[in-house]
Amino acid sequence: MHNYHFGRGRARWAPYLLLLPGFFFYVLIMLGPSLATAVYSFTDASGIQGSQLNWIGFENYREFLFMGQASIDNYGALWRTLVFSFFVTTIQFSLGLFLALLVNQRLIGVNIFRTIFFMPVILGAVIQGLIWSLFLYPLGGPLATMLAPFGIRSEFLGGQPSVAIAWVIFVQIWANLGVTMMIFIAGLQTIPNDLYESARIDGASGWQAFRHVTWPLLTPSVNTNLLLNIIGSLQAWQLFLVLIGYRNGTQVLGYLIFAQGFGQTSGSVTSAFRQGYAASASIVLFFIVLAIGLPVQYFLQQREKRVLG
Amino acid sequence: MSTITNPETKALPEQRSFPVKRFNWIRFVSYVILGLFALVYLGPLMMLVITSLKTMPEFMKSATALPSGLHFQNFIDAWQRANFLRYMTNTLLYTVSATVAYVVMAVFVAFPISRGYVKGASWLLTLYVIALFLPVALIPQFQLMLSLGLYNNPFGYVMLFLVNPIGIVILVNYIKTLPIELDEAAAMDGCGYFRFVTSIVFPLIQPAIATIAVLHAIGIWNELILPTIYLTNKDYYPITRGMIVFQGVYGSDWPTLAAAVLIMTLPMLLLFLVLQRYIVSGLTAGAVKG
Repeated sequence: MHNYHFGRGRARWAPYLLLLPGFFFYVLIMLGPSLATAVYSFTDASGIQGSQLNWIGFENYREFLFMGQASIDNYGALWRTLVFSFFVTTIQFSLGLFLALLVNQRLIGVNIFRTIFFMPVILGAVIQGLIWSLFLYPLGGPLATMLAPFGIRSEFLGGQPSVAIAWVIFVQIWANLGVTMMIFIAGLQTIPNDLYESARIDGASGWQAFRHVTWPLLTPSVNTNLLLNIIGSLQAWQLFLVLIGYRNGTQVLGYLIFAQGFGQTSGSVTSAFRQGYAASASIVLFFIVLAIGLPVQYFLQQREKRVLG
Repeated sequence: MSTITNPETKALPEQRSFPVKRFNWIRFVSYVILGLFALVYLGPLMMLVITSLKTMPEFMKSATALPSGLHFQNFIDAWQRANFLRYMTNTLLYTVSATVAYVVMAVFVAFPISRGYVKGASWLLTLYVIALFLPVALIPQFQLMLSLGLYNNPFGYVMLFLVNPIGIVILVNYIKTLPIELDEAAAMDGCGYFRFVTSIVFPLIQPAIATIAVLHAIGIWNELILPTIYLTNKDYYPITRGMIVFQGVYGSDWPTLAAAVLIMTLPMLLLFLVLQRYIVSGLTAGAVKG
């Protein structure tokens, strides 16, 4: 094929054979199962070893979307997923850009600030969750103690569903803001300094320089961040698990999939594994990701063509 | 001068030498804002440290007050009660073995794709890129592991981490920066494919390898969902799972729990400070390339 340099005949097979292990595991562990989710969504798979698997057509979808109280709960989870994703994306995107602009200045100590804002990323959901569970401990925890003199009392994560979700949104942004910021910083550093020089000579104000130099030239980072944030937040649910647990009125779709597929634990009782049903919920989530991700991707590409030519 | 401009402006040093300097409001406000954000980031962590040094009665009396003394007993309690040594060892074994195996396989996948040495290279790359959009693989993956008899099996657990599509994309992009003449010259000297990749490509792409290795290792270290699904035997628990169980048992004993969280956090924080460069470059690698 392409000018392959390392011999012919049997030697030509070397790259294929050596590529095989990595590709095999990718198909076995990720790609295959991911696609097979669609197949399982039409079965009554339970997840119990050796149990019979029956083809039940669209039954899971019917139950998920059109069956009484359960489907009303599902629509609730779907709505919460969208709300969660909307707030996380918009706030994380704007704050990330704002912080990137701040720490990209020539100031003493900006590197320390970068490190601080990025730190939670490597701690992972368990530690992030435990740190904030402590901080938000309602019975005399740090924040409760600080707010008490102002007469503010809140259950925080254990309170009203809307309050609890707002805190998960907050922690989610706190945890991942560093990634968004770093991607913006990488973009900012590709903008040549001469452009700012000439903008300044032309008498552009700080805002004008941002509007006409920084913002258009930042387009690749803007696209990456928006897409990563949207898809990431639609699929995110680990912080719900660590911060709240499975509680009615707070779950998002990702958590619902896990809980249905592997048993929702309330107290010491674990419900049945309903993996076919969970698979159908995965497919619903997949379509939501596509329905939002693809138009956004298309719009961003069109914009990039317009702005960067 | 405008504060939006890039750091490399030459005007700044001259300005500094003026004897009377105008008070720089933008700089002042920047520091104030950055300071406030830093407080939101470090505050909860400081609280964790303070809590871990308190006795339980002290914590009950006031959660925010400073501890009366350095009460290190919490750390000893946490370490003994939580079976941390076991969990840490497990996590370390999982992380190291899966990362090493993954990185070696990933280079052999990325190199021929990047060079076009296999048919349909760009098609293969697309297969890795779309992974971001695909449905969650959890359910069929579980069925597969059950039927392979790898449920509740440490080897099966490690196998789940032999895959990471983003790493492949990062490697492919990085290998493109190596000149193709390298391959030609080596082949001319009679170097075989395997030896070329292992003894010439590997050393040359070390920065990218460090990046994907660190990213992958962090992912495994912090993984919570997969051990919850696949490992039921306590002896196989990684630290994350152990931590959640510990929280379940000692959930209201915040001083001990805080000490446990710190024990789990410290290795990661240290690793992060040492390897920060690679982590950041890995996460931002996709941004510039688009």
